[in-house]
Amino acid sequence: MNKKIRDYTLTTLATFIMLIWILPLIWSVFVSLKSEIEVLAYPPNIFFEPTLNNFKDAIFGSLSIVSELGDSFLIATITTIFTLLLSIPAAYALARLNLFGKKKLGFYVLATQMIPPMGLVIPYYLILGKFGWLDTYHGMIIVYMTFSLPFAIWLMVSFMEDIPREMEEAAFLDKASRMKTLLYIILPQVKGGIAVTTIFTFMNAWNEFLFAVQLSGNKVRPVTIAMYNFVSVEQTLWAKLCAAALIAMIPVILIGIIGNNHIIKGLTLGAVKGGGRK
Amino acid sequence: MNTSSQQEKSFAILLVSPSILVLLITTTFPILYLIWSSFQNINLSMPLNDGFAGLENYIEMFKDKQYWKSFKLTIVYTVSTVSLQLLIGLGLALLVLKIPKAQWLFRLMAILPIVLAPVVVGLFWRTLMLTPDFGIVDFFTQSIGLGSYAWLSEPKLAVFSVILIHTWQWTPFAFLVLLASLASLPSDLYEAAKIDRASALKRFFYITLPLIRPVIIIIVIMRSMIALSAYAAIYAATRGGPGTATEILNLYAYRTSFLEVNFGYGSTLAVFILFVTISVAAVLYSIRRKK
Repeated sequence: MNKKIRDYTLTTLATFIMLIWILPLIWSVFVSLKSEIEVLAYPPNIFFEPTLNNFKDAIFGSLSIVSELGDSFLIATITTIFTLLLSIPAAYALARLNLFGKKKLGFYVLATQMIPPMGLVIPYYLILGKFGWLDTYHGMIIVYMTFSLPFAIWLMVSFMEDIPREMEEAAFLDKASRMKTLLYIILPQVKGGIAVTTIFTFMNAWNEFLFAVQLSGNKVRPVTIAMYNFVSVEQTLWAKLCAAALIAMIPVILIGIIGNNHIIKGLTLGAVKGGGRK
Repeated sequence: MNTSSQQEKSFAILLVSPSILVLLITTTFPILYLIWSSFQNINLSMPLNDGFAGLENYIEMFKDKQYWKSFKLTIVYTVSTVSLQLLIGLGLALLVLKIPKAQWLFRLMAILPIVLAPVVVGLFWRTLMLTPDFGIVDFFTQSIGLGSYAWLSEPKLAVFSVILIHTWQWTPFAFLVLLASLASLPSDLYEAAKIDRASALKRFFYITLPLIRPVIIIIVIMRSMIALSAYAAIYAATRGGPGTATEILNLYAYRTSFLEVNFGYGSTLAVFILFVTISVAAVLYSIRRKK
């Protein structure tokens, strides 16, 4: 009986804290369903007549974010594809094959992962400017590879290291059969790892802001900068901002909810293995 | 045998070289370019002065009051957000660990702040939560009789607010990682300790803490890297203001480069950020290796 009361108290306390914690998100849903006038009611009211007008505006209105959603989708998807194509073979070589200077290469990948974005946005502004690649899709994809590729290699290495060795001991001779081993024996083993890498790469590209705001913005407009459609010096359209932000965040929230276990696996794997190879 | 290992090596090179090549071109080359431009005068508003500057930018940096202020602020921001994430995350993890049912629900809720774009987080907090009179936080402080505050426009409070925002978004990370590692601790140690009548507090300090120490260090490393590259949420919430009250080094380097179009000096500041990041990582990794 005593244990029951304790369990009950702890559960209530934890639930209360977690609900308070995600209150900003819950509240944004409320606000997105209000009219701009209702938003400014004081005290803030929970009971009001909900309207979908803000969502309609964000999709069909003059400040529509649909084309920005398309841009983000394109950039994030292509970045993810290139990242996977490059990182999986590299991670396999770094984790499992006999390679000269493997440790140093692993360290190099880890080092590139730590480069602060501010160290890249300045040279990229100057370099892409010289090539005329500012505000282009390929320019943005190149820039997004700078943070997604090192992270993906490092994640995939951790997963590759967990495959039992016996799987590949069958003596293979030529390149073709080695390639087959990678494709038909190794890849199915790291399906989970590929899922985790895909999720993180896509999510990071989707949410990126600094490069988006400085290296694109006119022809190419990632969705994170579209939030500023609703924010100006004079006023912020709270309800429309919330609706647009929630639409923009639906993909990553869905990924977060559906890929919940994958994300936690990725996070904890990183924490256990500790940033690439020792 | 020998040819087989030779084969393996050439196959490995084939697999790894595209990635390394891409990394050299997309990360190492721009960093070298950044270092080069930190020794140049590149100022779009005064293009006639452009050219080799030697150590000029670096000397300017050490004399620059705003640089020192931003540097200090960066340290305060990083140390306080990382320790808050760790302390609150550990507290929550210990709490949720004790809950018999539906732990998955808490994990699910904790994922939500993490997946949001930091710029959205900054905008939500700036408007919905912290606007005086209309925001939820302000409504709450008023309701309990503490009164209304200029959360983002009073310098000291603004620093507190941007720390709060970062802590809000990333504590769930520490919580999830700690929860997972606490759940995987061997239970027999605890039973032995219970038989020895060790108190809960003792069990925590002598068993739990040493066991999760490696995980804690990794969390500190990963979170410090993120805090040192923080940009979007502060930009959205305060743009470094009021004045320069919340202008951490990232925002100062950004303002110098892109608003004052002084790319030479901006590069110097960015090189310094790079240097700080590498140093912090080196120190933390060496602590980790010592065990």
